[in-house]
Amino acid sequence: MKKSFFAVGLAMTLATGAAMAQVKPEILVKQRQAVMTLQGKYFGPLGAMAQGKAPYNAQIVQRNAGFLDNLSRMPWDGFDPSTKGEKSHALPAVFNDDAKFKEAASRLQNETAKLYQVSRGGDEAAVKAQIGAVGKACGGYHENFRQKQ
Amino acid sequence: MLVGLLLCASVALAQGDAKRGEYLAKAGGCVGCHTEARDGATRYAGGRALKTPFGTFFGPNITPHPQAGIGRWTEADFIRAMRSGVRPDGAHYYPAFPYPSFTRIVDQDLRDLWAYLRSLPPSARASRPHELRFPFGWRSLVWGWKLLFFKPGSFAPDPGRGARLNRGAYLVNALGHCGECHTPRNFLGGPKKGREFAGASLAGGGGSPNLTPTRLKKKDDGEVKDFLLTGITPDGDVAAESMAEVVRNTTSQLTPQDLDALIAYLRSLPPLPDEPK
Ligand code: HEC
Ligand code: HEC
Repeated sequence: MKKSFFAVGLAMTLATGAAMAQVKPEILVKQRQAVMTLQGKYFGPLGAMAQGKAPYNAQIVQRNAGFLDNLSRMPWDGFDPSTKGEKSHALPAVFNDDAKFKEAASRLQNETAKLYQVSRGGDEAAVKAQIGAVGKACGGYHENFRQKQ
Repeated sequence: MLVGLLLCASVALAQGDAKRGEYLAKAGGCVGCHTEARDGATRYAGGRALKTPFGTFFGPNITPHPQAGIGRWTEADFIRAMRSGVRPDGAHYYPAFPYPSFTRIVDQDLRDLWAYLRSLPPSARASRPHELRFPFGWRSLVWGWKLLFFKPGSFAPDPGRGARLNRGAYLVNALGHCGECHTPRNFLGGPKKGREFAGASLAGGGGSPNLTPTRLKKKDDGEVKDFLLTGITPDGDVAAESMAEVVRNTTSQLTPQDLDALIAYLRSLPPLPDEPK
């Protein structure tokens, strides 16, 4: 049920992307990079809390988890085929391995949505574990689809 | 009688310390390659898929199970595997098992690692055969590769370098096998000479960054340390999973002195330009 909800969400964002295909490829790249930058901004402090490097603050976690939940749905229509030739850190697999790319995208969205849900409960251990799961989803994504440097 | 006593004493001395071995196993990242990548997998029971240009390797079961694991091995078998990359039956191991780095682990540490592996609960999970592209399925080819690229021998401290840098060099080059991912390889899969730690392309299309001061000097010790403890950069960027795993299993588990020594050693490397991707 949940899964199909996200699948529809993903299909819709992709559809919007198609409708906006006139946007210049270099702009699309800039926008999707902006989403990643903000994901870093709101995830970084959570990662530090999960690993005990910063004091746990349930309010910040809840707020950031909400931001991340929205952000996790934003980058994907930026990976339009028109951006294939643009200078970026995206690996060719983004465009050549569509099934794997979509799977990784929905994994990130699912884990982030779960984080938003648990962040509204009071279970600090569960929240920290779920922050770890989101981190793994980001890392798995970077492993296969981003060129470092 | 006296001879018997003396023999007993020397056996007791030679025996490894499992507690120390546990720490060394973390410094060597053994658990990653020898444990399946799913929640709840039995540690060290094997099954991790390692994708390389030559095919997919599966880390074997190294628990002390007599059939499924290495329960019938002697300490000498283990030391030979790690030091020389040779199986008890004499066949060569593929360098997907990073023995080109582990060969540098000193004898006492190998004994402690062995004692630790012996202390693990045995698992009956069968090791999965590797799935390699033709003709790499032939182990005898590894012999030629070793002749070209493998220099066996344990780490010898450089007297001109001081204890801290030597410790760092040992952690990076022997146990940590950081060069297995951060040193570029030639078309035969051997490390490129003179390009140590300059960054590399990795199977699957991604790459690892340059660890020499050319790149690392842009970060202060605090930033490098935080990254090696958390896998997250100050701007919240999350490391690719292969490095994130090194952080979880190895660098975040080191004692503060060892982590400092490791960073000091990276800072002492000759600066090299980035490897072109
Ligand atoms: C990068 C992945 C990787 C790491 C890290 C790694 N191993 Fe392995 N190991 C392998 C692979 C792959 C093989 C099988 C090689 C072959 O079949 O030729 C192997 C084989 C072995 C074997 C021989 C098992 C057998 O049944 O013949 C032993 C023992 C072993 N590893 C111990 C260790 C120890 C101890 C560590 C940590 C210090 C370690 N390994 C770290 C990948 C790894
Ligand atoms: C399995 C492969 C692998 C191994 C082994 C490995 N690394 Fe990495 N490392 C990577 C990858 C890939 C990245 C890039 C991660 C990213 O996307 O941010 C990286 C990034 C880094 C960085 C960040 C550099 C920067 O400027 O951003 C440091 C520092 C680092 N590794 C140190 C080490 C050390 C020290 C070791 C040995 C203990 C090690 N690595 C072992 C793959 C590896």
